[in-house]
Amino acid sequence: MSQLDRPSFLGKIAKPRVQRDGIHSIAFSSTLASCAIICLIIGTLFVQSGPALAQAGGSLLSTSWNPAEGVYGIIPMVFGSIFVMLIAVSIALPLGLLAAIAISRIKHKTLKRVTKSALEILAGIPSIVYGLIGVAYVSLWVAGLFDLQSGRIILTAGLILAVMILPTFLSLAEDAISSVPKAYYENASALGLYPYEMQLSVILPAAAPGIMSAALLALGRALGETMAVMLVIGSLDRLPSPLFNPLSSGQTITSKLGREIGESAFGSTHFSALILMSFILVMITIGLTITSRLLFKSAKTL
Amino acid sequence: MSRCFIMFRCFIISAFSVLTLTGISGCTAPERISISGSTTVLPAVSRAAEQYTADTGQLITVNAGGSGSGFNQLAEGQTDIGMMSRDMTASELKQFSNLTFTPVTIGRDAVVPVVSSEIFAAGVTTLSLADIASIYRGKVDNWSAFGGPDQAIFVIDKESSSGTRQTFMDIVMGNAKADAPGADLVIGSNNEEQTAMTQSDAAIGMLSIAWLNEDVKGLSISLGSDELIAPTLENVQNGRFPIVRDLNIVIRGDISLQAQNFVDYLLSPDGQTFVEKSGYIKIKK
Repeated sequence: MSQLDRPSFLGKIAKPRVQRDGIHSIAFSSTLASCAIICLIIGTLFVQSGPALAQAGGSLLSTSWNPAEGVYGIIPMVFGSIFVMLIAVSIALPLGLLAAIAISRIKHKTLKRVTKSALEILAGIPSIVYGLIGVAYVSLWVAGLFDLQSGRIILTAGLILAVMILPTFLSLAEDAISSVPKAYYENASALGLYPYEMQLSVILPAAAPGIMSAALLALGRALGETMAVMLVIGSLDRLPSPLFNPLSSGQTITSKLGREIGESAFGSTHFSALILMSFILVMITIGLTITSRLLFKSAKTL
Repeated sequence: MSRCFIMFRCFIISAFSVLTLTGISGCTAPERISISGSTTVLPAVSRAAEQYTADTGQLITVNAGGSGSGFNQLAEGQTDIGMMSRDMTASELKQFSNLTFTPVTIGRDAVVPVVSSEIFAAGVTTLSLADIASIYRGKVDNWSAFGGPDQAIFVIDKESSSGTRQTFMDIVMGNAKADAPGADLVIGSNNEEQTAMTQSDAAIGMLSIAWLNEDVKGLSISLGSDELIAPTLENVQNGRFPIVRDLNIVIRGDISLQAQNFVDYLLSPDGQTFVEKSGYIKIKK
């Protein structure tokens, strides 16, 4: 039907060709510019991490970091980033998903609007504020709870991050759930499904692409967050022992960069090693995006 | 679509006006002296800067960042004066061998091994340099080894570029850049260290003498044969306290006239009072 409708529809509002083409080319060139910026960033990171690969070589894979001795082991930082992200995501995603379902079921229009906008305000709070709350309160609570000498540990960083990514994820996931057509609900009810069956086997699968991309955004923010993590993680360039001990201090790639990029001279091996880490961070993010796309595609064809 | 076009135009106009505004303000801003670096030197310099601005109207920005970053920003031309609580390293000088750097000593400081007040109250008031080294090497991990309570030692280390750390490690471990495998927490500035020490009840750390207080107690250092040296200003002044250093500012050969005037002020009797007020030792003329 759209085949027939479209020409007449366009014909009504179409503006003179010059104006339309002008906007078209502006839009096109800004798209090109964004692509170029992304390529430029990845290219710069790649080129700048060359000296570290050439000069530090094998020491990059060690677990100690001492620029004075030319030892640039990046493993503790890469591990720290992933560990903190996993803690944050495993707290925020289940909580966020359940809350998103609950909010999507709110019937009262004003209540729903207030809840949603409160969440969006929460998502807009600058990260340094979360960091300050983390240092001043959360780290003390965590230290008291586990009877530790200091609450500047991986778990605290994970908790703060979970709170930070929760509103973004929740808000987007709720959008995805709310945009499932009403007919799905009606058909599910007509089939006599219980509410939980309806959510699990009808609504969530239908909203899956949106929820997936919300989760990805949350993952990206968790990996990239610097300020709040830097203040509470303890900056210890060592693998925790035992390895998955969230109660020890650690370091993430971003907190390392935040702490040290000012100390390293541009062009030195030290600087290059830091750039290499940020290159790895970008690669992890890109890798995550691609795998989740692939996963989603294969899930859909099943 | 026309509304879209208007919005576009508004956006472009505002973007241009922002650009021109920043351009203009960049051109007409008064010559501000900018200083950054060591958080140890900072209190003295920023107090002096406040007075100097009140006296002369010369605007000065003083930022923290640590000795390493103080040097880098000066070398890269982002600041006029760098603050450093350690000497410049050979590799730093080599990196910028085309420039000349002059360190100017504006005061003297001691780096004091500190413990939580609870540990101090429990009787650990003195350690030898070898004791402290064994704690930072991770060889001793309980306060009972030094007559304290049966509690694990919480070892607080500082970032490797910190001047405080390098002075401390140089004397205690014999190597300014020594690794500290015993460390449980690494922090950046004196402020952070003081906070972390206060929050803990079994910690050891290192602080500049100006930062000692009721919650953070400085240890006396025992030098063999019953000789105890308390971390007092007198002992720093007469050279008996072992872990001391010069507080420096670093300037480049091409320093501006305004910045040079401020350096002269720091070295004048007026400027030196702020070194003393910050808890450090003034330089001898």
